[in-house]
Amino acid sequence: MNEIFVFSLHGLAYAGLLFLVSAGLTLVFGMMNVLNFAHAAMYMLGAYFSYTQVTTTGLFWPSVIFCPLLLFILGALVERFLLRRVHIHGHLHELLLTFGLAYIITELVKWIWGNYPLAVNITGFLSKSIHLFGIIYPVYRLFVIFCAIMVGVAMALILYKTRMGIVLRASVNDGEMVDALGINVPLVMMGVFAFGSALSGFAGVIAGPLLSTYPGMAHEILVDAFVVIVVGGFGSLGGAVAASLLIGELQSFGVLLFPKLSLALVYLLMAGVLIVKPSGLFGAKQ
Amino acid sequence: MKKGMWSLGILAIFFVLMSLIVPNAAQSEDTIKLGVTEPLSGTFKDIGTRYLEGVQYAAKVINEGGGLLGEKVQVIPIDSELKPDVATRKAQTVILKDNVKFFCGGTGSSVGEAMSQLAKRQNVIMFTYGMDAASMTGEKCNRNFFRPGGSTDGRSFAIAQMIVKKGFQKIGIIAQDYSFGHEAVDAFKKKLLQLNPKARTVAEIYHPLGTKDFAPYASQLIAAAPDVIFTPNWGNDLTLLLKQGRPMGLKAKVVSYYINDEVMIESLGDDNLILGDMGAEIYMVSIPTKKNEEFVQKFYKDEGHYPTWLRGKSYMAVMFWAEAVKKAGTTDVNKVIKAWEGLTYEGPAGTWTMRACDHQAQVPYWTAEIVKNNPFFKHAFVGPAVEVPAKDVEVPCDQTGCRMGQ
Repeated sequence: MNEIFVFSLHGLAYAGLLFLVSAGLTLVFGMMNVLNFAHAAMYMLGAYFSYTQVTTTGLFWPSVIFCPLLLFILGALVERFLLRRVHIHGHLHELLLTFGLAYIITELVKWIWGNYPLAVNITGFLSKSIHLFGIIYPVYRLFVIFCAIMVGVAMALILYKTRMGIVLRASVNDGEMVDALGINVPLVMMGVFAFGSALSGFAGVIAGPLLSTYPGMAHEILVDAFVVIVVGGFGSLGGAVAASLLIGELQSFGVLLFPKLSLALVYLLMAGVLIVKPSGLFGAKQ
Repeated sequence: MKKGMWSLGILAIFFVLMSLIVPNAAQSEDTIKLGVTEPLSGTFKDIGTRYLEGVQYAAKVINEGGGLLGEKVQVIPIDSELKPDVATRKAQTVILKDNVKFFCGGTGSSVGEAMSQLAKRQNVIMFTYGMDAASMTGEKCNRNFFRPGGSTDGRSFAIAQMIVKKGFQKIGIIAQDYSFGHEAVDAFKKKLLQLNPKARTVAEIYHPLGTKDFAPYASQLIAAAPDVIFTPNWGNDLTLLLKQGRPMGLKAKVVSYYINDEVMIESLGDDNLILGDMGAEIYMVSIPTKKNEEFVQKFYKDEGHYPTWLRGKSYMAVMFWAEAVKKAGTTDVNKVIKAWEGLTYEGPAGTWTMRACDHQAQVPYWTAEIVKNNPFFKHAFVGPAVEVPAKDVEVPCDQTGCRMGQ
C-alpha cells in the first residue's frame, strides 16, 4: 500500500515537471499553429538566468518571477521581429526559424556560462525533506507538483473564464473577424508567444535545482515535451495535463513493475495512442 | 547575379577558414609528432580538453628536459567529435600528410576501437589513458594498441576489494543500462564473490542512460536497505542519483567509478550529498607519494590549477610512451612496440608495467573517500589515497581473451 503511494507520488512530481515543460509549447501551437523548436532552448535560458540570479543574490524566490519576465520580453521580441516576418511564408519557415534560434541560444549559453554542469543552490524550506506517511520526501518535489497545479489552473481560468481568453480563442478561430472588431490581433499573438516563452522559462527555473543545469538540458527535455503534446493532442491544454500524468505515472510504476521496459514504455504508449487516435488523446480532428 | 557572387565569396572565405582548422602540423621536420584524438567540441568538450591539457603538459616537461631522442615532441590536437569515423579520417590525413606515427586518446571506447584498427592497418601506435572497455586489451587487442591506463575490470576489482575490506555485506548496485554499465557490474560481482562469498547483492538496478527522474530508483534502493551502493555511473547519471536520492533518505555510502571529478562535485552544489562516498582511480591528486607531491606542486606552479584525474592520467601515459621511445632509441614503430612490451615506468601513481601478452599496463589503483577539508579545493574532494596493488586487480594473461600472436 505504502509502495503504491510512494511511486504514485514520484509519478506525480515527474508529471508536474513534464506539464510545466510542455504547457508553453502546446499553448503556442494551439493558439498560433507554430511548432516552437526554440521552446526547450528558452527553458534552458530560464534555468541559466536562475543560476546567475541565485548565485549573485543567494535567493531563489525572485528568480521565479524575474526569469520568466526576461523570457517574456525575449519571446515578445522574437515574435515581433522574427516570427512575424516569416509567418506569411508558412509553417516550414517558422519551424526552420525556431530551429535555428534553438541552435543560436544553445551556443550562446555555452559561450557565456561554459560547457559544464552548474549547480543552482536552493536554501531554506525548499531544500528540506519532510516525513510523509512513513517516508522521507523532499519538499522541492511537492513544490514542483504545486507549481504545475497552479500553472494549469491559471491557464485554464485565463483561457476559459476571462474576456482575454475569449479574445484569444476567437483570434484563433477567425483572426480577420476579430481584427474587424477593433482588436489588435498581431498584438494578441505577440502576447501569446511571449507568454509561452515565459512559461518555458518558468519551467527552466523550477527544473534547475532538480535536474542539472548544463547545455545539453534543452535537447534532452525537448523529446519529452514533444511526446507529451503528441500523446495529449497538439495544442490541447487538457491533453497536456492528461498526457503528463499518464507518462509520469507510467515511468514511475514502469520502474517498479517492468524495469527492463522502463525506457520503451513511454514510446509504446505514444505508438499506441497514435494508432488508436492519431490526433492524440484530446486533439482536434484535422 | 550580384547576390550569387556574394554567396560565392562567403563560401570561399568559409573554405579558407575551414582549411585553417584542419589539423595542421609540420612546421619543422625534426619533431616527434603525437596526435591526440579527443572530443574538442560538443557535449564532451570539457573532458577532451582536460585530457589534452595533460598531454600538452607532458610534452612541455619532455621538451624542457631536452626533448625525446634530441627532438622536440609536438602535440597535434585532433577533434574526434566523439565519432569513430571522424577520428580515423582526420588521423589518416595526418598520417599521410605529416607522417605522424603516434596517437593517443582517452574519450569513447568506440573511437578507441576504430583508432586501434587504423593503427594496425597503417602500422602506427595508438595508446589510450581513458578508454576503459576491457575488451580493447581483450578480444579486440592488437600489437599496435597499448593501454597505459586502467580498464573496467581493474577498477571494478579495486572497488570490490575496498568494499570487502571495509566489511560491507549487503551491496546495492545501480548502473546505466548499456554495455559499459553491465561490464562494470559483472566484473565487480565476480571479484566480490571471490573475495567474500557471503556478500549479498540486495539490489541490482539498471536504468536508461540519461535518466532525469531518479526518484523511483532511489526508492527501490532505499527499500533494499544496502550497507553500501556500488555504481559505475558517470556524468549526469551520477550527479542526479546523488542530488535526487540523498534528500529522499538514500543514506548508504556510494562507491563509484568517477567520484574524484572536481567538476561533478562542484555541480552538485552541496558537499553533504557526497561526503563519505568513495571511489577508485589509477590517478588521484591526493596520492601520498613523494613523486606525486612533487608533480602536483610543479603542475600547479606551471599551470595555475591541479592535475586532477584526467590531466594526471594522460600526463602519465604520455611519459610512459616517451620512456618506450627512449628505450627503443628510434621512432621506428616496430622497435617502439618491442621496447614498450615489458617496460616499467615509475610515475606519480606508482610502478606501471606494460604487459607483453595484451599491452595492458599493470597498474595499482588508488581508493579514497570524499572529505570536506582538502588542500585542493574549497568544496569537498578526495582525501588521502590508499593503494590497491596491481597484482590484486590483475586479470591473468590467459583470461583476457587477447590473442596477440595470431
